[in-house]
Amino acid sequence: MDTLNELLGGFAAAMTWQNLLFAFLGCLLGTIIGVLPGIGPVAGVALLIPLTLNLDSTGAIIMLCAIFYGTAYGGTITSVLLNTPGEAASAITTIDGYAMTKLGKAGAALTIAAVGSFVGGTIATIGLVAAAKPLGELGLLVGPPEFFALMVVGISLLVALAGKSMVKAVISGALGLLIAMVGIDPVAGAPRFTFGMDRLLDGVSFVAVIVGVFGLSELLSYRKDSQAPAVHAPNLRSLLPTGREWRRSAPAMARGTGIGFGLGLIPGMTGSVSSLLAYGAEKKFSRHRNELGKGAIEGVAGPETANNAHANAALIPLFTLGIPASPTIAVLMGAFLQQGLTPGPTLFSEHSEIAWAIIASLFIGNLLLLLLNVPLVGLWTSILRVPSSILTALILLFMVIGAYTINFSVFDVFVMIGFGLLGLALRHLDIPLAPMVLTLVLGPLMERSLRESLEISQGDFGIFVNRPIAVVLIGLGLLIVFSPLLKLRKPKALNEDPET
Amino acid sequence: MTTESLLTKPGRAVRVAPSVLTGIGAFAAVGVYVLVSSVGLGLWTSLGPGPGLFPFAMGGVLVAMSAVWLIQELRQPSGKAEGIDRGVVIAVVVSLVLLASLMDLLGFQLSMFLFLLYHLKLRGRRTWVSSLIIALAGSVGAFYAFNYGLNVALPVSAFTPLNLIGL
Repeated sequence: MDTLNELLGGFAAAMTWQNLLFAFLGCLLGTIIGVLPGIGPVAGVALLIPLTLNLDSTGAIIMLCAIFYGTAYGGTITSVLLNTPGEAASAITTIDGYAMTKLGKAGAALTIAAVGSFVGGTIATIGLVAAAKPLGELGLLVGPPEFFALMVVGISLLVALAGKSMVKAVISGALGLLIAMVGIDPVAGAPRFTFGMDRLLDGVSFVAVIVGVFGLSELLSYRKDSQAPAVHAPNLRSLLPTGREWRRSAPAMARGTGIGFGLGLIPGMTGSVSSLLAYGAEKKFSRHRNELGKGAIEGVAGPETANNAHANAALIPLFTLGIPASPTIAVLMGAFLQQGLTPGPTLFSEHSEIAWAIIASLFIGNLLLLLLNVPLVGLWTSILRVPSSILTALILLFMVIGAYTINFSVFDVFVMIGFGLLGLALRHLDIPLAPMVLTLVLGPLMERSLRESLEISQGDFGIFVNRPIAVVLIGLGLLIVFSPLLKLRKPKALNEDPET
Repeated sequence: MTTESLLTKPGRAVRVAPSVLTGIGAFAAVGVYVLVSSVGLGLWTSLGPGPGLFPFAMGGVLVAMSAVWLIQELRQPSGKAEGIDRGVVIAVVVSLVLLASLMDLLGFQLSMFLFLLYHLKLRGRRTWVSSLIIALAGSVGAFYAFNYGLNVALPVSAFTPLNLIGL
């Protein structure tokens, strides 16, 4: 009852016209980012953080969350219409989605995808409501050693799943940690790696680094590419699926919700893993599995539902334990910290109203996206007809504004350019970028919990072995990284995943 | 696996791509630098772990991983990486550096206007009309939208005559 009351309070706070406007704008911008193939959700969310700088924290986070799950919706549109995934988690949708477009059923595919996303996202948010209190209370019992161990597990999973080479993933993670260490050391107050520059005492700006490494380096790695293919928006009459298509989609959506929700809870899993597994589940369990690949509605409904259930479920570890489950969530967490909010168990005790308003806005946002997505398909596809030179110029404009406005200093624009070049080098060397983002955000927290643990134990590393939860978690982390027995290798299709 | 790496006979005169060697060398160098400087920061204090402990561990990881990577490459060089279009990189990076250097002097509006015009007209070969409209909207338009709409101040010119005419 308590939870319900607080959720209702959250709805009251989220329903002010300003917050509704922020949710609406976030959904709109998120969908655009999802539609644009050049810019992924990680850079997209980072890029739009400056827009929210002067908003109050509730509005800012509502908008950024809406941008975050909006990207999961938007990526579908290009997958279905163009055979080009707007973002990695929708890659698998191209198979049956584009096949449906060729059969003249694009409208039905997009509608089912939007409804599936709504179902998955809403059920995952209900899960968040149910889990928030108990998990948050559990989180309060977690001491620094357990917290450290939990982060080790998250990073190990991401390292194990990222890229083709684990060595390269570890390098990426170590680089992120080192970048996070620039500035004044949080415990002893000593400046580290500042090269005598006063500007670096506060550390390098998180937004400038992410925008550089993910956004600018992507633009820099473009080559003179071919002309964009012609896009035709489906007319409105063809948007409605038939009764048979609805009936076939329902079980696929149910399976997709289960898979996406379960995997979304595990730190280190990205949305692409969920949508891929959901497609695999359809191949195994669907009654129409023979039609998969030839334009079967299940091939759209399953992955798209899983993808959004994942995106919303991934907010659960962030809200309750303060652990970002994926690179995009890590950026979101950076935005929370910038607003003076620390995600995790204390969020509900210290900023209860804000937390519940954000959760309520997730419900509203998922509904808004359903309403926005289907009727506006024509608008989204027209974005794709904008010539690439204009898009590049406008994206560069936003990157410069984004980097500048974090500290109102040109210095951060230079930081962004430098990290853009670093990102380009890393892409060229085939080093995955995801571990770096995650450790960049987690680095300071990880170091603090390690040092606090060692201070509690007066320098004895045994503290990680003597505490049962910590030892199990650290053992799990080591097992993930070192045990070839687990065969936790990334599926081949994920190797092209820009998010990992 | 590319045909090139299949053609390379294992164990005999394998050639590691220069860019990969440079990368490995750079990571190892950063690792060594971090190792050395974190010792100077203090690994351990009377209160427990010092500011240098965590960086020291990371420096060690970087050096060790670079070594493993080098061994992997010597055994089986990775396939040729996709080339980078140098023209694109130089055009974008140089224009960004110029923009960042001139932004405080010329103000956001003028410097961004010139930057956008370069990317739209000179690089993108759009028509004059569309280039001018988009460049104006992205510079003057963005300045007013951010200043008055979002309360986020973008820089004005430090050069008095420009400042006086509102740039």
